[in-house]
Amino acid sequence: MDDISRSQPPSPAAIALSGVNLSLGRGAARVHILKDIGLHIGRGEAIGLVGPSGSGKSTLLMVMAGLERPDTGSVEVAGTDLGKLDEDGLARFRGRYVGIVFQSFHLIPTMTAIENVAVPLELAGAGDAYERAERELAKVGLADRLSHYPAQLSGGEQQRVALARALAPNPAILVADEPTGNLDEATGKQIIELLFAGHEERGTTLILVTHDPALAARCDRVLRLRSGRIDSEPAAVLQ
Amino acid sequence: MTISARAESSGAPGYLPLRFALRELRGGLSGFYVFIACLALGVMAIAAVGSVAGSLKDGLAREGRVIVGGDISFNLIQREASAAERDFIAQRGHVSVAATMRAMTQASDGRSALVELKAVDGTYPLYGALALEPALDLTALLAERDGAFGAAAAPALLARLGLKTGDRITVGAANLEIRAVLRSEPDKLAGGIDFGPRLLVGEEALRATGLLQPGSLVRWRYRLRLPENDAGEQAIKTVIDSAQTQLPDAGWEIRSRSNASPQLERNVERFTQYLTLVGLTALLVGGVGVANAVKSHLDRKRDVIATMKAVGATGTRVFAIYLSQVLVLALIGAVIGIAIGAALPFLIDWAFGGIIPLPMEPDIYPAQLALALIYGLLTACAFALWPLGRAHDVPVSALFRDEVARQSRRPRRRYMAGTALVALVLAGAAVFLAYDRRIALIFIGAAAVVFVVLRLVAEALMWAARHTPHKGSALVRLAIANIHRPGALTPTVVLSLGLGLALLVTLVQIDGNLQRQFTAALPDKAPTFYFIDIPAAEAERFDAFIRAAAPGAELERVPMLRGRIVSANGMRAEDLKPGPDAAWVLQSDRGLTYAGEIPAGSRVVEGQWWGPNYNGPPLVSFEKKLAEGLGLKLGDAVTVNVLGRPITAHIANMRLVDWESLGINFVLVYSPGTFAGAPYTHIATLTYPGGSDGEQEDKLLKAAAEAFPMVTTVPVKEAIEAVAKIVANLALGIRGASLVSLAAAVLVLGGALAAGRRNRVYDAVILKTLGATRARLLGAYGLEYLVLGLATAVFGVAAGSIAALLVVTQVMNLSFVWLPGSAAAAAAGALIVTVALGLIGTFSALSQKPAPVLRNL
Repeated sequence: MDDISRSQPPSPAAIALSGVNLSLGRGAARVHILKDIGLHIGRGEAIGLVGPSGSGKSTLLMVMAGLERPDTGSVEVAGTDLGKLDEDGLARFRGRYVGIVFQSFHLIPTMTAIENVAVPLELAGAGDAYERAERELAKVGLADRLSHYPAQLSGGEQQRVALARALAPNPAILVADEPTGNLDEATGKQIIELLFAGHEERGTTLILVTHDPALAARCDRVLRLRSGRIDSEPAAVLQ
Repeated sequence: MTISARAESSGAPGYLPLRFALRELRGGLSGFYVFIACLALGVMAIAAVGSVAGSLKDGLAREGRVIVGGDISFNLIQREASAAERDFIAQRGHVSVAATMRAMTQASDGRSALVELKAVDGTYPLYGALALEPALDLTALLAERDGAFGAAAAPALLARLGLKTGDRITVGAANLEIRAVLRSEPDKLAGGIDFGPRLLVGEEALRATGLLQPGSLVRWRYRLRLPENDAGEQAIKTVIDSAQTQLPDAGWEIRSRSNASPQLERNVERFTQYLTLVGLTALLVGGVGVANAVKSHLDRKRDVIATMKAVGATGTRVFAIYLSQVLVLALIGAVIGIAIGAALPFLIDWAFGGIIPLPMEPDIYPAQLALALIYGLLTACAFALWPLGRAHDVPVSALFRDEVARQSRRPRRRYMAGTALVALVLAGAAVFLAYDRRIALIFIGAAAVVFVVLRLVAEALMWAARHTPHKGSALVRLAIANIHRPGALTPTVVLSLGLGLALLVTLVQIDGNLQRQFTAALPDKAPTFYFIDIPAAEAERFDAFIRAAAPGAELERVPMLRGRIVSANGMRAEDLKPGPDAAWVLQSDRGLTYAGEIPAGSRVVEGQWWGPNYNGPPLVSFEKKLAEGLGLKLGDAVTVNVLGRPITAHIANMRLVDWESLGINFVLVYSPGTFAGAPYTHIATLTYPGGSDGEQEDKLLKAAAEAFPMVTTVPVKEAIEAVAKIVANLALGIRGASLVSLAAAVLVLGGALAAGRRNRVYDAVILKTLGATRARLLGAYGLEYLVLGLATAVFGVAAGSIAALLVVTQVMNLSFVWLPGSAAAAAAGALIVTVALGLIGTFSALSQKPAPVLRNL
């Protein structure tokens, strides 16, 4: 098994999408969600993905994370053509290269904080899963919450555990789907700081879905989706 | 130790799926109680049946020489051993002789009763102990004193004739004085079914009765105790072998302590098989509960599964994690079941040891327990693999957006193949380990058909609900919609209730039909009395006596001898491989008769009847089904040993016999002249057209006992009662095991209904918000359960009745009458259980306050 800590994308383009179309539902209820998406995201970039509800942000995120297959088009992430991987291949790929932070945290309720963080490492066969999980939790300020179950943690703490879990395998890509959507403003801010800190320290490519223009503005680039299309690809907003 | 190290070590085993599975179970076993209980019940039934049977077999083996009455017993029918035979036995150890026969006893007030007479010598018993009250010495008990021989009588005889110790009775020409109450005799199991109470006398007393006529139905048992220094198994084998070589024509049945009661052992084995099948039914019913529990568990865990997949778990790994969990839970259930099952023989022995007529040697039977465990785990896998396979394909996208409707997809092929494979292994094990594989195959076929048909019934019900016009009140529409909507309870309720009800109806119908055989069928055609041991010379006088004593009654009288089949078609009886339904023909001696005309109650279906004037070489007419079971056909030679003489005859024809008429019927009917010169007696039946009353019967019984003291009168009612008692005991065992299946069915049903509670709460809250009262909601849910229960009840009654018809006619070879009352009662019971369980579950949903639920929607 590969050592996850050393896993790096073999190509300078972190994510490359071309001609991606995706429809969901059946028959009359079928909706064309992603329309002819083409996209190139460089290694270590931070991308803010914005757009109204139903515009396809989360779906695009899932396509980039290998959670959803497009009907047409190609998706290359970390130098790997996702179209060539079967479902198990995609799962292994995610375990190695992609970290995901959800709006609703999605921690496993029967596992403690440290166990939750160790899950992706254990699944990838890392021998030091618990030591690394402990370090990750310490980095998000939860060194004293290792043995707590999700139900014993506040929303902010749960999201920090989720962030630690996403960052633990040192992923090449970190995707976050409205990570502060379920949190109050102050807590949300802490999470965002941790998220960007993780991205900067590790050189991880960050894709952040958000409704908050200010938050999007912290990213290197902002992509706006409208009715399944990328509205424009504005110039970098970093200046 | 760091927390991380502690966390790692707390994760228990190194196998990752198991580690994850155990973590998942930390939340407790809530949601799995039905799963565990279902498996525990089924495994308990199988473990208990195996353990109790093992205890009985060990008990029989331990008590072998007590049951046989010696190390070896040489049994003869209708004749005593010849001098050569006696010498042979006497030279090999210590001998004790016992003779048994049925006889009439008469009290001084003229009342008479049928007794099982047993005559013993002074050395009885060689093994075990006789319990008398008062505890007299055997010589003192049996000796002749003041013109009467001593006797010990079973309490039932004393009660029947109003006797006490010191009273006198007669048997034949002998005067007997009852000197003790017979509490127990060690070799009781050596005999067959008792039609009357035991009367123990000495050998001299038996001879004084005058009942030992040539051809009388007396069984002589010569029990041999080998010298203590040479009583091993080899010594027993040597004696038996030399008996067979030195006295090949003795025609005796030789029993040794190691096969004390082969018939009993076979019956225990056979009965064990039936009960194991009932236990398997419990497991199969429980399997539905397993499938339901796994399905709803995985439904609850969809987010966790999706999360695991999001962080890198493959579908195969997810499957492995949840399979490990199912196996852990199955193991918990199985271990509980095994513990109770293993304890049961000890409990039975402790609580009922004194009442059970069979010796029990309670012990732990690892092989039986392992078998129960394997059955349990296989069942869990067979029912869990399908829903577990679906977990493989839980989409991670579920974490990002709600799915409109969860597709109830089939799992991948490998999981379907896995399910089929495990089901095949389960079926294979059930058939391979069966005593009667044909019955096991029928059982498996029936189970498969019932499963498929129940699924179709559920589909049909949902289809009908879907196509019902959308009229009536909103609540009626809700009830109907609940039957067919995606994720409806219909398939699980129909399956669990249908299985339970089909089983219940099957058993109730079989039970009712068995009871009917022993009661309802009697008055019309059954005779009132059997008379046995009518001396041939007295036959005409007996006919005249009956004509006078019972004018209008029908007397049927035929000659009868006893003989054992020793060889057929050139093969020794021991080497024949009879089918399970025909084995009994070879197990002991059979009644034989000869006739010029085809006997009443039977018809020739193959070959030609020889006619009244036949005068050629011996021919025999064989009962067709039994001949087939023994592999015999027309023209084959059959040799029976009658009174020590081998008699060979060829099969001239086959008959079908109506055994249920209770008339005189024989498996073997010979051509006239076959037994020329052999002493024989007659057997007769007396039938009162239109039935008889008790007074008539008592009068005849008394008159016959006075006029023919050597003739034994068996009131059919009593004989039937004796058999019915045994059947009732067996039925009790089956009912006990079936209760387990029914408990499993109710559990599964309750579990299925409870699983639907979340939807009920949602519906109830929305409807209450819109103004529905609790009473109206209750009405709607009640209607839904009623429709489900009713449709399933119709199917359950139909399926159960067909299964009972097949068992009664094909396995038990009896006639079948559908009993509408018991079927209706079972169906009504099922309906009540469904509606009640459903409403109990719904009631808590109705009492939910809307606000908290609405906030979380």
